[in-house]
Amino acid sequence: MIAQTKAPFSAGRQLIRQTRKPLKWQDVLSYAVLTLAALLVLLPLLWMFSTSLRPLADSYKLPPQWLPTDWRWENYLAPFESNVPFELFFLNSLKISALTTLGQLITCSMAGYAFARLRFPGRGFLFMFLLASLMVPGQVTIIPIYLMMAELKLVNTHASLILPGLISIFGVFLMRQFFKQMPQELFDAARVDGAGHLRSFLQIALPLAGPGLATLGIITFNATWNGYFAALIFLTSWEKMTLPQGIALLTGYMNSGNPSVVMAAVGLAILPVLIVFLVAQRWIIEALTRSGLKG
Amino acid sequence: MLSPKRSEALAGYLFILPTFIGFAIFILYPLVESLRISFYEYSILGDSYYVELDNYSRLLSDSRLRKTYSNTIVFTGFAVFFNAGIGLLLAVFLNRRMPVLMRNFYRSAFFFPILIAHTYIAVIWQYLYHQDTGVINYYLAFLGIDPIPWLSHPAWAMAAIIIMDVWKNTGFAMLVFLAGLQSIPHEYYEAAQLDGANERQLFSRITIPLLSPSIFFILVIFMIGALQVFDTIIVLTDGGPGDATRSVVMYIYQQAFQRLDFGYAAAISWTLFLVIMAVTLVQFLVSRRWVHYE
Repeated sequence: MIAQTKAPFSAGRQLIRQTRKPLKWQDVLSYAVLTLAALLVLLPLLWMFSTSLRPLADSYKLPPQWLPTDWRWENYLAPFESNVPFELFFLNSLKISALTTLGQLITCSMAGYAFARLRFPGRGFLFMFLLASLMVPGQVTIIPIYLMMAELKLVNTHASLILPGLISIFGVFLMRQFFKQMPQELFDAARVDGAGHLRSFLQIALPLAGPGLATLGIITFNATWNGYFAALIFLTSWEKMTLPQGIALLTGYMNSGNPSVVMAAVGLAILPVLIVFLVAQRWIIEALTRSGLKG
Repeated sequence: MLSPKRSEALAGYLFILPTFIGFAIFILYPLVESLRISFYEYSILGDSYYVELDNYSRLLSDSRLRKTYSNTIVFTGFAVFFNAGIGLLLAVFLNRRMPVLMRNFYRSAFFFPILIAHTYIAVIWQYLYHQDTGVINYYLAFLGIDPIPWLSHPAWAMAAIIIMDVWKNTGFAMLVFLAGLQSIPHEYYEAAQLDGANERQLFSRITIPLLSPSIFFILVIFMIGALQVFDTIIVLTDGGPGDATRSVVMYIYQQAFQRLDFGYAAAISWTLFLVIMAVTLVQFLVSRRWVHYE
């Protein structure tokens, strides 16, 4: 940490005492900048929330009311009563995100375990081969995947989104890191007891990999829940669409939808993310810092 | 009965099998196939024709492609600069002495937008940016600024996209920089202070060099992400007005899935792939000059 005083050449004790001095202008500046930045980040979200509770007739009213004066919670029911099947969008997103996450937890933990804990010829090469493919942007592969799905008559089904999502190279990499950290003695002891590889994996490695599985689960679920590109390409009929598509529909052409209803819908879509964030913030922050993956 | 060594190898292959099946079907095959398609005039219904390099020579004379590339580069330059710059500023301030509760509050506030879908953020900002009814212009009026045509004027639309992107993503840079700053040992600063270094010297001689791996990481990640920008723009401006904010990926999307010109779209996607690889490679080469690993 940068100390705020000029360096005295006396001992550390004096240094500590000096850094506890009352507020200096640098402190004032830093609090001012941080508070301003926090306001700028939070105000659009506050606007979303207060607009979602406004009477529909007032939703365009200026000056904006930052704190809700009426609490029209019934606006949150309006998306479900609109002419688009909002509850289906919700369920579709939930289904696709849950199955994708489950699939990745299985495939990534298996492969991550093998690359971290099992010896087999070609292990290093195969791992590097997988890692190299992380550089391939999704836009390059999406066209052949679409043509493949068209051939299989899977366009406009949820399978077209779920199947490619069942594996993740990044997830393999992440899980491998977690399995590598485990002490070898555990696995030696299990082997002495006659445990096979499957049992070592299921009964020793997996129970210890809880934080890794949680990390991968949160990242994958959030990414799928928020995903738009693939959904836009594969899902064409209303009853198949996901939440981001549904909210774009609700917003309407030239955003003709009523802001209060749309903001209530956005609020509902963000709610699961907010809950997970509040419950597991520490994990998420650590996971994101570690993984270098952004939304 | 297999020897232990063989059974371990067999288990290894079986454990990685599901991932490799998916990898072969959804990454490796599509990668090769998209290169093949790029040499065809590809039709999803009728016959496809091998057209040699026609799709690639078309790239050179396509003025819309040039426009989308220049848009993407402008977006990437500004978005990376402001995301990393503001993220660094916030991290340095957050790393000062302050009550833990305050630090956690600020950190959570800056970080939360990362978790929200681009789509929802764009929907919110669409209303904020509205020329007549938007909150932003309402407050700018107090500063004597005439209503800004945020989404209907080419340059302002690009600015609107960049501002929104920084609002969403700078918290991620902040997070990584803060983690980097916190791993710098206090003793370095104390020793430099004893030698009479001032704050600016501390920052440029200690903080920046020791933070350089984090800075490098953020630049690479943000640049790769920005070159593939799509969700952010398609909801906010849909590439408009005209093609003023259309990105390369949006152009690929349009050529492939709206015009069904899959061969040409595949060729464009390969140019983007090569650009991303080249940019990443250059960054790694240049990084040897300025990134210090302990």
